[in-house]
Order: sequence, then C-alpha cells, then structure tokens
Amino acid sequence: MIEVSHLTREYSGRPAVSDLSFTVEDGQVYGLLGPNGAGKSTIMNIITGYLAATSGTVTVDGHPLPEEADAAKACIGYLPETPPLYPEMTVQEYLTFAAELKGVKRAERTAQVEKAARRTGLTEVMPRLIRNLSKGYRQRVGIAQALLGHPKVIILDEPTVGLDPAQVIEIRRLIRELGQGHTVIFSSHILSEVQAVCTRVLILSHGHLVAEGTPQELSAQLGPHGVLHATALGSWSAVAAAVRRVKGIQSVEMESEENGEVAFTARSASGEDLRAAVSQALAAAGCAVLNLTAETLSLEDIFLELTEPEEAETDNQETTGEEE
Amino acid sequence: MTAILKREFRSSFSGMMGWLLTAFLTAASALYFFANNLSFGLTDFGYYTLYQTVFVLLVYVPVLAMRSFAEEKHSRTDQLLLTSPVSVWGIVLGKYLAMCAVFALPCLADGVLIVVLRALGSTNTALLSNFSSLLCYYLLGCAAIAICEFLSSLTENQIIAAVLGFGALLLTYLMPGLQSLFNAGSVVALVAFTVLAAAASLGAGLRSRSFTLGCFLFAALAVGIAVLFTVRSAWLTEAFSSVLGALALFSPFEDFVNGSFSIPALVYYISAAGLFLFFTAQGIEKRRWN
Repeated sequence: MIEVSHLTREYSGRPAVSDLSFTVEDGQVYGLLGPNGAGKSTIMNIITGYLAATSGTVTVDGHPLPEEADAAKACIGYLPETPPLYPEMTVQEYLTFAAELKGVKRAERTAQVEKAARRTGLTEVMPRLIRNLSKGYRQRVGIAQALLGHPKVIILDEPTVGLDPAQVIEIRRLIRELGQGHTVIFSSHILSEVQAVCTRVLILSHGHLVAEGTPQELSAQLGPHGVLHATALGSWSAVAAAVRRVKGIQSVEMESEENGEVAFTARSASGEDLRAAVSQALAAAGCAVLNLTAETLSLEDIFLELTEPEEAETDNQETTGEEE
Repeated sequence: MTAILKREFRSSFSGMMGWLLTAFLTAASALYFFANNLSFGLTDFGYYTLYQTVFVLLVYVPVLAMRSFAEEKHSRTDQLLLTSPVSVWGIVLGKYLAMCAVFALPCLADGVLIVVLRALGSTNTALLSNFSSLLCYYLLGCAAIAICEFLSSLTENQIIAAVLGFGALLLTYLMPGLQSLFNAGSVVALVAFTVLAAAASLGAGLRSRSFTLGCFLFAALAVGIAVLFTVRSAWLTEAFSSVLGALALFSPFEDFVNGSFSIPALVYYISAAGLFLFFTAQGIEKRRWN
C-alpha cells in the first residue's frame, strides 16, 4: 500500500529522517513508535504530501510522490498532530466542507458525514461551534474528518495525546475498529497503546528505523534471553546448590526467602531455555518447584533497549523537538 | 476549489470582519457620492467618487487579505488543505476568488449608486463611462488582493501580513511621485541600478554559497551598467523610469477616470493579479521543501 525507500528529510541541513525504508501492507494497524524528536511527524507529513522528501521515494497505492500527489492524497485520510479545525465553523459545516474538499460527491456527502460522525460519537455535537468543543471532541472531529471519502489508508499522528483515560480507551477501540476496514498508521510514544492496538510496530530513533515487526516478533528478535524466575520450597543454600549444578547456568540470585519458600532468578550463559533442566534438578534435590517462568521482554524493554543508548549520547539535542 | 471558495466566503461573514469591511468601503463611497456627485450635480462617478476614494483600498485590501494564508499557517489548518486532493493552484485560486467575491459586494453597492445617478438624469454615455470606471476599479482591487494574498503567504502573523500589504500598496500608490523624483538625473538611476545589481549578486552569492561567484556577478553587472551610463545614459534613465512606472499600480486607473476605455490598463491589472497568484502558488510549493 505504501512503499518508502531510502527516505531522507533535512531541516536546514539537520537530518530529521535519514535513509529510511519500509513497506506498509494492506489491512494492518501500524504503530510508529519513538521518543519525541524521532521523526514520526516528519514521516507522516511526507507520506501525506504535506512536506517533500530531501531524497528517496514514497509510493502510495502505486502513485509516486510528488508526481501523482493528487491521486496519492485521495487514498489517505490524515489527522495531523494538531487537528486542522476552523473554530468559527460548526461540526456539521466543517465535516461537510472536508467531504467536499476530498471530492465526495454531493449525493453521498450527507450520508458520509453522518456515518463518520456516528463512528466517532459526534452526532450530538453536530450543530455546535468547534470553538466551544472540548479537546476530546476536537480530536474526534479531526478523526471524523480523516474518515471522509473512504480513504484506503488512515494516518493518525498521536491521536490520544492530551485526552483523559476514558477518551483514550475509546479512541483505541476506534482505531482497532478502523483497522478492520482500512490500513491504519498511527504514531505514539506510549508503549502500552501500541501494544494494545497494533498488529505491526515500527520503532524509530533519531530518524532511523531501528526495528520492525509484530510485537511478538520484536520480542523474539532480541534473541534468546535465558532469564528465568522461579520459586521453590526449601532453604536458599540447598536450592542454590541444586541450580548451580545444572549445566549452562551462569548465575543464581536470590530475590526473597520467607516461610521456607525461596524466590530466585537464574541466568543461563548461552541464553538457552533451561526451565526443564532446572525443575528436574530442583526435584532431584527434594525442593518442590512452586513457580517457574522464563522472562519475556515487553515492548517497553525492547523500546528502551533500542532507543536508549543513543538517546543518552545526544540528550542535549532532544529538546529541539521534531518540527524544524 | 469551490469548497475552499465557499468556505472562505462564508467565514468572512461569520465574524465581524466581512461586514465591517463592506460597510467601511460602502460608507466611503457613499460619503463622496453625496458630497460630490449629489451636492454639485456631477455625473462623473468615476472621478468624483471612485478615484477620490481609491486610497481607502490601501487599508481595505490588506485587512481583507491578511488572514488568507497567515491564519491557516498559524492554526495549522493548512495541513488539511495541502494534504487533500486539491492542487496548490486550486487552493490559491479558491481563496483569491472568495476575496474577490467579498470585494464585489461594495462594488455592487457602487453600481447601485451609478444607477441612481442615471435615474436622477445623467446621460447614457455617463452611465457607460461610470460603469467602465467601476470595472477598472474592481480589477485594480483584485490585483491589489493578489499582492496582499502573496504577502500573507509569506508569514504566519496576520498583523505582519496586513502591515506588509499596506506598505506595498502605499509604495505603489506613491510611485508616480517617487518616479518624478528619480527622473531628475541619470546619476540616481545609476545608483539605483548599482544597488539592484549588488542585491542580486549578494543573493546569488548566498544562494550558491560561493563568494567568488557573487563578486564576479557584481563586477560583470557593474561594468555593464557603467558602460551603459557612459555611452547611453538616457537609456538608463528611461529604463529606470519605466520599471518604476510599471510598479505604479494605481496609475492605469487614471485612464478610465479620464473617460477613456483602456485595454492596456485592464491587461495590466489582470496580469499583475496572475503574476502574484503565480508567486503565491510557487511560494507554497517551495515551503514543502524547506
């Protein structure tokens, strides 16, 4: 649906995005994840044709940018970081204007506006001036605007920023729902959100794509991890001795010991999964195993692992933000 | 494009601004109409009302056009327009035609005043001449709107856009006077062209990041001007004066006011509007790149 190859964008010589390539497949929900200033908004602005790339190519549904910009733009519904609203219009007027702007035929306009309003829960505020709406409603008007004209791709730039928790949940539900009929790309710096909503994740750091895949793939991509947490009955010395005897174990650390239960963390040298061997060794030593789990990385760990080392080096630049 | 046109026109009148501007211009026309045409029984609406009140456009047009792009950029609604399947030309023209439509309202009121003059006994010739003056007045306003729309697209701040627009229009309004000031001698023309050459060379040097290129360009231009000055100093003066003459936006209107129908004047206004709309579209297109 969208192909981005070797995309570079500079703001007066300073690269915001450098040599980025990825492909967006049909019918998926993509999460664009990255700390502030990673280039998320820049990428979205380029895909939607608002900005031009310094070098590299972007193709939307077979239409290269900027040569066939109008055809490409017709496939995309876009909610920028700041919803582009005219405060002096009512919601009804605004959505009708947006539908006309997107070339929705006169006969379908009313029906489409109504449908978009229903999906985003705006039906009751249609006659109100946008000026008088709360932040949550404004965001929804912005999303409703992006739905008009049946775009194949819907791009949402940080759609949940500044909303209260109930609204955030509602928007996430809406995004999941949109994912059934459209390809959705949305950006966020909130990990739980991406984990909850996306089928694929792109992680950006300082304008580079550092990882791509499903949330599960990303966990696996970081390789065997070989850390297990366990609780066993018995004294710490007996348990530690039994675990240390297992071939491949590098270290054993006690987490707690109370009421004859020992909780510990064991690490294998090669990253191999040693759960079976550890449970057998403990059983042989007469220590019953109460709990044994291998540690899996959450998206948060992956995110920090991928973005943090660089972030620490260039921490000072971080304050300059992502727009110019 | 029609979507933008309709929205712009409606939004002008959803606040105070459109009503206020229309009332302002109509009141100015009506005042001069009563004071000149009616009190003295003069049938020349073009000179006694339109030409006398043309300075009001210096305020009217910048205020009308200041919002066009500056406000969109400020509130980031330009993202909606520029990411919709409408070409940049469509956006620029949509906004321009909406402003021309707003400006047409006080002109319609002027049209009514002209008809009133006819009803009070002016001749058919006077009626025609008055209407042709009004047509030129309208085109003059439309050209000024294009200039101010361009200036508005350069900034995010409406006030700056209005001040720039006022400054630019004031300069073109005063241009005939400035022109005669500079006609005094070819030395002034020499200095002016040298300054222009220096500015062009500086621009070229900065643009290409090459000091040598800038210096060479300036040297070449300066030699050219110096040769012209020694061999044909009259050319320099005439060229300078005609450049200034072309910048005098309000002068061609005088042809109409004097009772003649001047095609060059109409062509001048239409091409001035086209030129600045082109600049506006190019400027917006360029903004995507940096």
